[in-house]
Amino acid sequence: MENNSPPILRAVNIRRTYPGVVALGGVSLDLYPGEVHALVGENGAGKSTLIKIICGALAPDSGELFFQGRAVAWPNPVAARTEGIVTVHQEPELFPTLSVAENMAMAGGLPLRGPGLVDWSRVHRQARETVRQIGERIDVRQPASQLSVAHRQMIQVASAILQNARVVVLDEPTSALSGEEARWLFQQVARLKADGAAILYISHRQEEIFRLADRITVLRDGLEVWTRARQAVGPEEAIEAMVGRPASTLGASPSGQANSPTIEEGPVRFQASGFTDRRGRFRHIDLEVRSGEIVGIYGLVGAGRSEFARAVFGLRPAGGLVRVDGNPCEIGRPREALNAGIAYVPEDRLSQGLCLGLPVRSNAVLSTLRRWTRGLLASRTREQQATRQVAGRLEVRYRSTEQPVQQLSGGNQQKVVLGRWLLAQPRVLILDEPTRGVDVGAKAEIHRHLRLLAREGCAILLISSELPEVMEHADRVVVFREGEIAGEFDPRRTGPARVAALALPRQSTEEASAAETRSAASRARGRSFNELALLLCVAGLGLWLTVSTEGFSLSNLLTHASLWAILGLAAASVIVGRGIDISIGSMVALSAASAAMVLKLPYSPELLIPVAILAGLLAGTAAGVLNAVLALVGGLHPIVVTLGTLTIYRGLVIAMLGGKPMTGLPPEFGRLAIDPATGFRGAVAVAALVVLLVYLWMAHTRSGRQVYALGSSPRAAGLLGLSTARLWPVTFGLGGLLAGVAGVLQLSMGQQMQARLGAGWELSAIAVAVIGGVSITGGRGTVLGVVLGALLLRLVNSALVRWGVSDQQTDLVVGSLILAALLLDLAWRGWKR
Amino acid sequence: MSWIERMSAGVDSAPPGGRSYRRVFGLLPWVLLALALLLVFSQVRRPALLVEVWVPWIEVGTLAFVMTAIILTGGIDLSVGSMVALTGMVQAVLWQDWGWSIEAAAAGALLAGALAGGLNGLLVVAGLSPLVATLATMALYRGLAITVAGGDRVTGFPPSFLDMGRLLGIPSQFWLAGLVFLGMVLLVHHSRFGRWCFAMGDNRQAARFAAVPVNKVEGVLYTINGLVAASVAVLGAMRHDASIPDAHIGTELQVIACVVVGGTLITGGRGSVLRSLLGLAVISHLDVGLQFLSSRLVWLTAESRLIAIGILLILVAVWNQRSQRES
Repeated sequence: MENNSPPILRAVNIRRTYPGVVALGGVSLDLYPGEVHALVGENGAGKSTLIKIICGALAPDSGELFFQGRAVAWPNPVAARTEGIVTVHQEPELFPTLSVAENMAMAGGLPLRGPGLVDWSRVHRQARETVRQIGERIDVRQPASQLSVAHRQMIQVASAILQNARVVVLDEPTSALSGEEARWLFQQVARLKADGAAILYISHRQEEIFRLADRITVLRDGLEVWTRARQAVGPEEAIEAMVGRPASTLGASPSGQANSPTIEEGPVRFQASGFTDRRGRFRHIDLEVRSGEIVGIYGLVGAGRSEFARAVFGLRPAGGLVRVDGNPCEIGRPREALNAGIAYVPEDRLSQGLCLGLPVRSNAVLSTLRRWTRGLLASRTREQQATRQVAGRLEVRYRSTEQPVQQLSGGNQQKVVLGRWLLAQPRVLILDEPTRGVDVGAKAEIHRHLRLLAREGCAILLISSELPEVMEHADRVVVFREGEIAGEFDPRRTGPARVAALALPRQSTEEASAAETRSAASRARGRSFNELALLLCVAGLGLWLTVSTEGFSLSNLLTHASLWAILGLAAASVIVGRGIDISIGSMVALSAASAAMVLKLPYSPELLIPVAILAGLLAGTAAGVLNAVLALVGGLHPIVVTLGTLTIYRGLVIAMLGGKPMTGLPPEFGRLAIDPATGFRGAVAVAALVVLLVYLWMAHTRSGRQVYALGSSPRAAGLLGLSTARLWPVTFGLGGLLAGVAGVLQLSMGQQMQARLGAGWELSAIAVAVIGGVSITGGRGTVLGVVLGALLLRLVNSALVRWGVSDQQTDLVVGSLILAALLLDLAWRGWKR
Repeated sequence: MSWIERMSAGVDSAPPGGRSYRRVFGLLPWVLLALALLLVFSQVRRPALLVEVWVPWIEVGTLAFVMTAIILTGGIDLSVGSMVALTGMVQAVLWQDWGWSIEAAAAGALLAGALAGGLNGLLVVAGLSPLVATLATMALYRGLAITVAGGDRVTGFPPSFLDMGRLLGIPSQFWLAGLVFLGMVLLVHHSRFGRWCFAMGDNRQAARFAAVPVNKVEGVLYTINGLVAASVAVLGAMRHDASIPDAHIGTELQVIACVVVGGTLITGGRGSVLRSLLGLAVISHLDVGLQFLSSRLVWLTAESRLIAIGILLILVAVWNQRSQRES
């Protein structure tokens, strides 16, 4: 620690409140160069809020932040990062559909070259350099969803080093790392320290803190308890400060260890034999739990523990036999497991355990609804009684049974999930990390209840990656390693070190990651499958039609496909950013009507035509932007908004036309799209230009890539300061502009404007996008794909005409095509897995 | 765009808390609106005429009651309108070309509806996004509806069949709507099945982990939707003495509008069938009421009605969103 040099980062008296909660009540923190500063505290102590403020993801209510001596206020995390503050989050938020390289570059803002285009070669060069640092083989072009959590964290640490970071924030960096990987991390921390960077290290693991830290700051309830040099504190002191009471009173609950001999004599309640995962995450698991026994399953993340539990509960296909009380059970679905008397408390409370928006009652009785129904009808009163009873038993703190469960604290939420399964009166209870993210008090209560349940005769499987938890609360500990049972211990007679050592993987990390890289590479190849298949279809059909059909006009085909490509891009640009616009057809009509109105004015066509085009495009863009603004300001789903504007814009069109079709537009205007004298197809030229520009924007500019990022993961995008509020006006505006282009083109081709123009086109536009491989959930899709999708649609249409199928049946074809595209994609993804 | 960011941020940070009476407050504007429009109808000289004018909206409402349950689970079915057209054509073709009795043909239409809805359910269960899957079947079923009879409408049903178009002097559509409404209220709000729907819409994965048979729920719901669409089609044939291949284009949007205006969250997990009835009341009163008024007010033309309905949809949706956030 170099106290004589000034601090790199100073946080002074930082306050931040959320509605009803003071997250930080005036916390100060200094980080000096070359120091590792540990930040400890219980969940909810304010650690993550402080990190978010330091890295620019959150603005403080009051207080100041000084970086290298000057006051700073980060507008977004990218600004902090470019200044040299790098944050490695516990569960790195990634953009799953973007490449590894792009993910790495996105955090610091994509590098540009020339006229505002992204410098891709630099992005990939830097990414490869970073990967080399880690010494593992990772393909930087593969989508980030293929990376393991360990690799994600290692990559972030490595890029922090390469970036010459001045401040590195590591949030629980070892939670997903194996022993080997953790050692690598500690080396990197030492290296950063030697380079003079300041490291803010957040961890729950005492031994890491006391091994690495120079100074320790303890937070409790949003306030700083103390900051001291490591040498000046002992582990006990740190825990006491975190919890606010002496550590000795914590673990010793009356339930503690049940050493009564009856456990050994209880009958075998649960028996799993020969369990093997279909996807190879675990093999040949044989496990027995006696009535009244708590068996702890310990293992690192990825050892196959949770997968095993899910397979037992019927959430994952696996081979093997389950017996409950000696009776073999056929379990293919959770309901069958439940009927067999097995309950499973999942590892992730928020995404797997709770329906956050629903009341406590609904969550508590969800799995046992049949018991509370009278005849055929559900009874709210009986459900409430059941809820009150179980909530009372577990001492859940809540206001009313109708209170949304999201208003409860983490510990109480966990008790609601536990209560749900207690109501099912299970004979076998499997708990996966039941105390993760739960404060110390609630943790002790949960453990006490588990012991009580066991005494009542339940067989309990307690899965945990916290060694102390299984050592203290289990009667027997089973260690999982690489999908197999590595050993079994009596926690009263075995030291924790032996158990921990057994859990470490034997397989060298290189072998494993090489295998991972291979499979990832084959998966990455699958991505371009869609476009290749489309291209082949288009080429084949096109060739066949040209050869076999007399009078088949390629330029006619292209003209029609042009319109559809533009409409498809209009839909795609919105969908990629996780929006959807179903008013496209009305916007087409609106811009065509605007252009037609201008053309009807009594001036010379030369003057009117440019004005008309401009009016059309403006009307489209304005309509698109209005959709976005309404969705954002009203807080509405875009489907709802555009459902409304769909009728509004259509009403406007009818009003503009005054109920009559508009004809007699100047012939010069008609020549724009197709000039019969020269045969020049303006429509095709316009479409080519549009395709080129949209391609450049979506694939090669910062804002285009930000749209993909937003669509790929709104949460990760939020950490970079990207929001729908910033990007939707752009994407919806572009969608409107393109609809406007289509409207003007259609007007020029058709030479008349009628009220129903473009009605229902929104669905065809979305169809073109989907056939072209745009994912409806955002973040995935290419301009090339959309263009091919439009071509395919038109070609199939021509082929049908050739076969004598009437023009009316286009719907049939469009529908089958979308279905085929979707099912192919689904089958392909399933097969890849 | 900073003001947009500010405003939408303001919406998100609305304080939590509140009680159920606020939810009742949320209903207030509709009740008022409905009353106001009833006043308009009081000027109509022949109230019997109203019943006839209302039939298309009652059909929309019937479909909206089922759609509410689907939207509650986080799904959507864009193919309802096409299913009505398709099943209507199936009935017509079975009767006209295959020589089935009209009753058997009607049963065949119901079966076709169940199959069409079942296919939607299968696709959704297979893992496709409901929006896209039913977008595809919407086009597919419409195409089939046009293909089965070569694109022509079929008329000339036997008089005994047409007579069933009215029951106790009221168009049968009203009876069907009442039946479906009651059935859906019981199913959604007073049964285990309905509890499952809410849980799935709030968090599908958590529902699955809580042993909710998510696939079964989806399969059943989409199939019911197909069945009800077929019933609407059969009654429609009775009323118009015709099966029309391009009937009910755009009906899906009206159906969804009723559900949304009622205040059911489009993303699922919150809402009710009763609310959809209110949504139907608001939209249909407005539409029918304005139609009547337009005979007297020159400026009140078809287009201003469209615009008014669009604006209403957005305003009520915003109102619902805000009042739900507060409660």
